[in-house]
Amino acid sequence: MNKTKQALRFAVLINYFSIVVILVLFYLVRLLGLNPIFLAFEIIPLITVVLSFRHAFVKTGIWKMTHASYKKLDEREVQVVFKATNISYSLFAIATLVIIYIFILSGLGQIDAVLAVCLLYIAHILPASIIAWNEKV
Amino acid sequence: MEIRTIYNRIAVLRKERGLSRKELAEKIGVNFQTVGYLEREEYNPSLDLAFRICECFDLPVEFIFSTKPMKPLSEELLNLKRGV
Repeated sequence: MNKTKQALRFAVLINYFSIVVILVLFYLVRLLGLNPIFLAFEIIPLITVVLSFRHAFVKTGIWKMTHASYKKLDEREVQVVFKATNISYSLFAIATLVIIYIFILSGLGQIDAVLAVCLLYIAHILPASIIAWNEKV
Repeated sequence: MEIRTIYNRIAVLRKERGLSRKELAEKIGVNFQTVGYLEREEYNPSLDLAFRICECFDLPVEFIFSTKPMKPLSEELLNLKRGV
């Protein structure tokens, strides 16, 4: 595996890790009843989300590819996007179900706006992540 | 269904005609990365794309694509000369 590919995969992992950090920090503050000033630390993972997103998805053109109209893609790109969307649909459905069960069983209550936003973001980057992970870009 | 590898001579023909991947990609209406995939035989083109490539090089389809590994052009020419 070449260095570019490794860097790309690393950026994808950093992106997901940063989202997890955002959520953990948010729920720690909420559940432990900490001072909301701690939420200011969210800025650090938020910056890493933006930077890794730019490196992994924007610079490589994968974001554009997964969000472009099918008419603007060639036949190979259509195949790649279709495959990635198909896999991410299954992964997202499973991940969302698991999260909902965790919320119900642990008594955390309903899913709030922060988690919903993170899930929506993941739904959008999941096909791009699969392409970044598997394809030569 | 098992997908067979379709072998091709796109890289040789492109270089022979002094075309860059980007130039060939523009002529056949695909992304330049797709030309790379085709040349490395990592992607099998559709019939439509295969014919567009043939039209671009002005050669018959069996000369550019094959389900068996392609022989070098020099060997093919020699065989042709010998009448094999």
